Amino acid sequence: MNQVVAVTINTFKETIRDRVLAVIVVFALLMIVGGLWLGSISLGEQGRMMKDFGLVAVTGFGLIVAVFVAAGLVHKEVEKRTVFVLFSKPVSRAAFIAGKFVGLCGTMAVVLAGMGLFLFVLVWVIAGQASGTVLLAVVMIYVQLLAVMAVTIFFSTLGSAILAAVLGICVFIAGQLSHNVLALTRLGKNPLTEALSWVVYVLVPNFSAVDVKAGAVGEQTLAWGQIGAWVAYLLAYIVVTLALATVIFRRKEF
Amino acid sequence: MLRRISAVVVVVLCALGVVAYQVTRPAKPPSSPRVFVPSPRFFLDFSPSFRTSIADAYYLQMVQYYGEHANSDRRLDSLPQMVELVTRLSPHFGRAYLFGAFALIDAGRPDVSYRVLQRAFKENPGDYRYPSYLGFFMYRFGKGRAKNLKAADWYQKAASVPGSPSYLPRLAAALTGKGGETEKAILMWGQVYGAGDKYSRQKAVDGLEHILPKDKTARMKAVAPLYGTMPKAEFEALIAELFKGYAP
Amino acid sequence: MTVETALSIRGLRKTVHVGFRRKPVEILKGVDLAVERNDVFGLLGPNGAGKTTTVKVALGLMRASSGSVDLGVPGLSHVGYLPENPYFYDYLSGREFLGFCARLFGLDGDARHERVEQLLRDVGLEDAAATHLRKYSKGMLQRIGIAQALVNDPELLLLDEPMTGLDPVGRVEVKRIIEGLHQRGKTVMFNSHILSDVHELCTHIAIMRIGRVVWKGSVEEALSESATLEDFFMKVVTA
Repeated sequence: MNQVVAVTINTFKETIRDRVLAVIVVFALLMIVGGLWLGSISLGEQGRMMKDFGLVAVTGFGLIVAVFVAAGLVHKEVEKRTVFVLFSKPVSRAAFIAGKFVGLCGTMAVVLAGMGLFLFVLVWVIAGQASGTVLLAVVMIYVQLLAVMAVTIFFSTLGSAILAAVLGICVFIAGQLSHNVLALTRLGKNPLTEALSWVVYVLVPNFSAVDVKAGAVGEQTLAWGQIGAWVAYLLAYIVVTLALATVIFRRKEF
Repeated sequence: MLRRISAVVVVVLCALGVVAYQVTRPAKPPSSPRVFVPSPRFFLDFSPSFRTSIADAYYLQMVQYYGEHANSDRRLDSLPQMVELVTRLSPHFGRAYLFGAFALIDAGRPDVSYRVLQRAFKENPGDYRYPSYLGFFMYRFGKGRAKNLKAADWYQKAASVPGSPSYLPRLAAALTGKGGETEKAILMWGQVYGAGDKYSRQKAVDGLEHILPKDKTARMKAVAPLYGTMPKAEFEALIAELFKGYAP
Repeated sequence: MTVETALSIRGLRKTVHVGFRRKPVEILKGVDLAVERNDVFGLLGPNGAGKTTTVKVALGLMRASSGSVDLGVPGLSHVGYLPENPYFYDYLSGREFLGFCARLFGLDGDARHERVEQLLRDVGLEDAAATHLRKYSKGMLQRIGIAQALVNDPELLLLDEPMTGLDPVGRVEVKRIIEGLHQRGKTVMFNSHILSDVHELCTHIAIMRIGRVVWKGSVEEALSESATLEDFFMKVVTA
């Protein structure tokens, strides 16, 4: 446990001190503020535009931070040979992967909390009333990005950082279209296609089920019981993905 | 030193050129009234959150498109497709329906406007505004003898939505009478009278005066169906007002 | 392996697969060596002889294709390692880095703080403790590397080219540290190309060439066959 805590703290410091992160967050905040301009041409729908485009900015920039930082976490240690110092000590590969992931979770929490609170306050000022669903939407974005980070870390144990980042983004997009894959499984003309569709549906995390942005702008009624179940599913998905990453990383030699 | 000065001069001249070009270039001519609008079916496969964002982006485009053409060539050829796209992707976006409906009137397409508002009410049955505007559009743009009754029907539906304003039943009653269904109109005015406030009662009396016969016997016959549809005290108060000035 | 052996390697072979066609290349071809407790052991050899690979297999950073490695200490928590040309986390200060290493060994709170400050004094970096590692010179990095290898007060210390990048003062200090560890009963094994340092510090040496140990014994034995350790080394590797 000590090792996981040590790697977690180290990873948090590594990522939170990255200047590129600060630049990305500043850009995100500027994008959110840019929503004010969009609101001004919306004929009285400033609140909705702020919420919608603000959450899109939080999702987009959060995704950039998640995949590019997660992709480099393991890869950088191997490339810069700090793994020699790490694994010559009693640190298991599992503790390393877990610590890296949890440390990045902490960094992402700080980043998203900052962006989310900024958006919440701006919406409150513009719309004249506080919208708790904006904060809940940001929490759900965070849960999705946790899964993206886990998948990206998994891919980074297999290949290069760039490839892991690209695949992480692809998984995020595929996760938004997961319900379409489910529809494919029910077309049922060819058993092979159906079976393949089921495999893809199971492998790709279902992000659309926990995305409550539509509910935040009043477009959808939110069934919190179901959303809670899907969140638990994503957390289990993360555990399995990290376990697979550990199995692959154990085979690596330095 | 000379090289450095030359480099600075070149950079400054380029910067001035960029600014001058941007500031002095001619205003953009109005875009074509026909623009490409994708079908909603294309986006319906996306997850709900992204459908909402896409709808909002196209809503802003729709507002700009309307503003640009309403003030120039007054050609809004692609407006129906835009309204369709935004409202299909975001079925609870109230302002999109209302703006779209009125903009479509401007575009000379009250038929499309009518259909948009019908869909709005189907998707949002708890919002009285849509049937209320449908009643207005039917009254204003409808054709044929039955338009008043159809308008009245919409106002009646609007009035039945919880939280709807009190003037809607009055409009329904007035248009029913205007449409020739006098017996039904009398009953509706009776309900308006029963709403309770002084203003509604006065309006109900005025409305009934407008459609009731002047002859006392005929008038008594006409108001008789109201008995049993309202509390006895209210019925007697209404009768007293309707027969004020008539010999006992 | 006897109770007195800190590290025992028997018949160690290591094959790696390189290139698109995964061509097998045997790096270690049956390495046998034993490092006694309280020894200062020098592992010598030309570039590419397999010295670093041997150490990495001993630490578990690489897996042996065959053969055995026995650490005479109870696991990696009693081993310290300094890699060649060490690179550390440049976003951490010296103090933070040593604190991280200490935490990995389970040192908490005051114990960790005291250990870190002691190490910083021992390697002469107390003034640079708050500076980020990216601003450290090569010599300073080497010193912080030695400090991190000592954070757990290891029984067995493996140093890969510990004198690299150090100025004469730094080299004297590292030698002093190694001698101090020897006097405290610790076992040190280090790779080095600087044979004068090996002569000064080591009790036993092994010479590797093309993946094998071609000679092993005490420094006295080597010097009984040649005037200097350099002459002996050249005689063995060119034989």
